[in-house]
Amino acid sequence: MLAISVMNGLVIGVIYALAALGVSLVVGIMNVVNFAHGELYILAGYFSYLFASALGMNFIAAMLIALALVFLLGIVIEVTLIRPTYGNDMYSLILTFILSIVLQNAYLLIFGPYPNKPPLWVKGAADVFGLFLYGNQRLAALIAGVAVIAVVFFIIKKTWFGRIIRATSQDREMAELNGVDTTRLNMLSFGLGCALAAAAGVILTPVFPVTPTAGVPVALTAFVVVVLGGMGSMWGCVVGGLLLGLVENLGAAFISTGYKNVFGFIILILVLLIRPSGLFGRAKV
Amino acid sequence: MTGKKALLISMLILAGMCVLPLGLGIYPQHVLIVSLFYVMMASSWNLLAGYTGQVSFGHAAMAGIGAYASGILAAKAGINPWIGICLGTVLAALIGLGLGALCLKMGGIYLSLTTLAFSQILHIIIVNEYDLTRGTMGLQVPSLMAEYDKLVYYYIMLAAAVLILSILYRMIHSNLGLNFRAVQNDELAAKSLGVRVLQVRVLAFTVASAMAGFAGGLYGHYLLLVTPEIPSLDLQFYVLAMTVIGGMGSFIGPIIGAFALNILAEKIRDYGEYHVLVFGLIALVVARFAPNGLLGLWKKFKPIKPIQAVKQKAFPTP
Repeated sequence: MLAISVMNGLVIGVIYALAALGVSLVVGIMNVVNFAHGELYILAGYFSYLFASALGMNFIAAMLIALALVFLLGIVIEVTLIRPTYGNDMYSLILTFILSIVLQNAYLLIFGPYPNKPPLWVKGAADVFGLFLYGNQRLAALIAGVAVIAVVFFIIKKTWFGRIIRATSQDREMAELNGVDTTRLNMLSFGLGCALAAAAGVILTPVFPVTPTAGVPVALTAFVVVVLGGMGSMWGCVVGGLLLGLVENLGAAFISTGYKNVFGFIILILVLLIRPSGLFGRAKV
Repeated sequence: MTGKKALLISMLILAGMCVLPLGLGIYPQHVLIVSLFYVMMASSWNLLAGYTGQVSFGHAAMAGIGAYASGILAAKAGINPWIGICLGTVLAALIGLGLGALCLKMGGIYLSLTTLAFSQILHIIIVNEYDLTRGTMGLQVPSLMAEYDKLVYYYIMLAAAVLILSILYRMIHSNLGLNFRAVQNDELAAKSLGVRVLQVRVLAFTVASAMAGFAGGLYGHYLLLVTPEIPSLDLQFYVLAMTVIGGMGSFIGPIIGAFALNILAEKIRDYGEYHVLVFGLIALVVARFAPNGLLGLWKKFKPIKPIQAVKQKAFPTP
């Protein structure tokens, strides 16, 4: 029971970390919280279901197309909705919140309230360290999640583009003075943030099917992870995501399944009370 | 508009509102009562978003707190609904105070995130605590009066809306209202002029939460059934859309928005459950292209009266 809860916690924790990285990237650079993050996560799930199950494409191709489409949609959202609100954080909150409701209702209209599910990548189950049998699909999701996080870390920490991103989130004006086109960077990083939500979506939906509102708890958990880890901190997302995944699953196993999502909220309140800047956050000046 | 003229017009509108339902059937009366509930919700939410620049996503949750507190007290403990509504209002205010004090020192985004999380948690608790709340089935609550009468409910809601609106009007046009505006426009400048930014924000959040709790309590005892639909994101979205479309940061905007959208929702319902999607699209377009709402658009295109030059003495020369 304990071992399998920890395993479940790790799998979902990696996905939380992935979703939170997308939120954190956008918060770090643009100081915008995208409330439609969960709906983009769901959209990627719908796309991969549509391409793989309905059109019969290879599941990897379906996932890649889903990622690309959500990335493009993110760019469109940035250009049409977010760009005019630069400097007014409040309007970007309102606009993305309205967008999330619009998307939820559009999904309801198009796909109906029923759960949809893309095909499994792998079948069967494996014996984990001789402790328990675990679904191969969940193990694959864990590996894929870790791989994507590694790629994101490589891009941000090692490449020139990542250097630009880090510079801009540290000091926007200074980056501009050094020739960074911050408008274009905003667009790209918003698209990248959406693509990370999409990555979490395509990895997790074979395990947890998509419904029009299934994105809300995931996005909410991602927000809690971002606050827990410290706004804009990448390691905070990883540690916070794993921590929240473990707490939720252990809490569900040993306390109550109905209150699974409440534990995250309790953590949020504790963080705000004890260390409002988060685990890895810089204290606000 | 001068104060006297505004007062006269609002008195005329109020008199009109008093006679309006008399000739109407039960269904239009119901639509008006629900609209008045939304007027209270949108106007108090506007105090937060429009006047102090804090976007709360937990306003519907506060209405839910008021509705469930009063409903549970009345249905389970047999307490008079009026006392229950007062207690629900106080509870919503206390929770608002707690949430506000908790996250407002970290800035606006934290309030939005925390209130969104709070409304989800409240939803989960209500659905799970079946014995107390009857979950998604809804809790049956007693009526406010011995004999259920829509017209009496209409006048109760009208009186409540007038009460809330006049409190809001007094607040906004007082020194406190200036502080609200100052905090919204430039936090740092307000701070430097001695405005206690945190206290002002927490106060606005507490007052707005109390108003939502009050409106929610009344609404629950009108519907006679309190369901998780009240503290839902959908209702929160209605309130936000009404305020944004009507005109955020203006006193009349949310009132117009509440009536317009609620009546529009009833019209769209004839064709199916598309009203949320339609509102969403309208709100998106309005928020993007006319951030001050329909009222702002009207003000923008209204011919501006030439301002009379103020006769001013030249600087006295010594």
